[in-house]
Amino acid sequence: MAPPLEGPETLTGVLEAARSGDLAAFEILMRRHQRLVLVAALRLLGKMEDAQDASQEVFLRLYRNLGKVQGCGNIAGWLYRVTVNVCHDVRRRRTDETSVEEAAELVSGGADPQQAASREEENRALELSLRLLSEKERAAVVLRDLEGLPTEEVALILGVSQATIRSQIFKARIKMKDFVERYFRRRV
Amino acid sequence: MNCKNWEERIALYAGGDLTAASKADVERHLTECAGCRILAEGIKDSLKLLRSAHQEPIAAGYYTAVRAGVLAQMAREANQRRPWRRWMWVSAWTAGLALAAVFFIRPAQKPKAHIVEMRAPEVQAALPEPKVPMSPPEPVVRPVPVPSAWPRRAVAPVRRTIGPPPLGEPLVVKLITDDPDIVIYWIADRKGDEE
Repeated sequence: MAPPLEGPETLTGVLEAARSGDLAAFEILMRRHQRLVLVAALRLLGKMEDAQDASQEVFLRLYRNLGKVQGCGNIAGWLYRVTVNVCHDVRRRRTDETSVEEAAELVSGGADPQQAASREEENRALELSLRLLSEKERAAVVLRDLEGLPTEEVALILGVSQATIRSQIFKARIKMKDFVERYFRRRV
Repeated sequence: MNCKNWEERIALYAGGDLTAASKADVERHLTECAGCRILAEGIKDSLKLLRSAHQEPIAAGYYTAVRAGVLAQMAREANQRRPWRRWMWVSAWTAGLALAAVFFIRPAQKPKAHIVEMRAPEVQAALPEPKVPMSPPEPVVRPVPVPSAWPRRAVAPVRRTIGPPPLGEPLVVKLITDDPDIVIYWIADRKGDEE
């Protein structure tokens, strides 16, 4: 989630200043939303390098569309939507993506189930479980379950109905649960 | 009871996506079905683990690199716009210089017309009519004879001008009278139009 701003007036002022060409104000905007954009892109793409490229593109689009963003009044929602779209474009261009089968093979090298999962293992489990999802399921899960947005906002950002989001989330949660259990060889 | 029908509702329940009524239904079912309780717990545990991993902070260097990349790209785009502006100024200066050249540089002088000075006869009462024709001679047009070998062709008559060849500049005749204040100019067009 984006860090909370001091207030709408502050955001308006920063947006106004950035729109008038104040680069320092635009950098403030980037700092405030950098985690939102970079982490969402990382979850959607799976690679930090790709996520950084996508994040740069998102912020460049933000700079070019500051007027629109100011008009829409929901900069976080705008950034999520653009991030999803940019990541979709990056994924289409990318050719070396790990397939679902490859991700499943990686599970066999999982950690000892008796030991507590380390942070690295959890991150790996998160990355691989997201790879098993379809692109739409992944976007829904990242926004709803990881970023914690309400279902109605996720539906607005992705441009689908809430029922569609619930269907995608349900399937994704079942797949991810199965994957995590296999990854840690935890039989419940 | 077929628990497959409960799978979707349990998955949504685990993530807090059900209405109050549906949530109560699922909780009632979970008290009766151990398998579904295990499913619900498994989904909750995996969500908790994945959310925890998601909250893991990212090294500040990644953010810095993104911001630097954005600012560098913005600078590149600004630089790409500058040559265009420079060319705009060059074009404006060139146009200005061209206008200045048109207004301030004198055009080359045309060759002066020939002036023939004629002194009027010393007549007190009235000047005689000048014996210079007031208009150039009318061109004579003669049809070109058509050869008899081409009887069927309709040939348009070609007009040939008989008279002085075109000289270009007008002929100016200056009549000087005894009165220094009276000078009579007569200008004859010597272009010799052919048509």
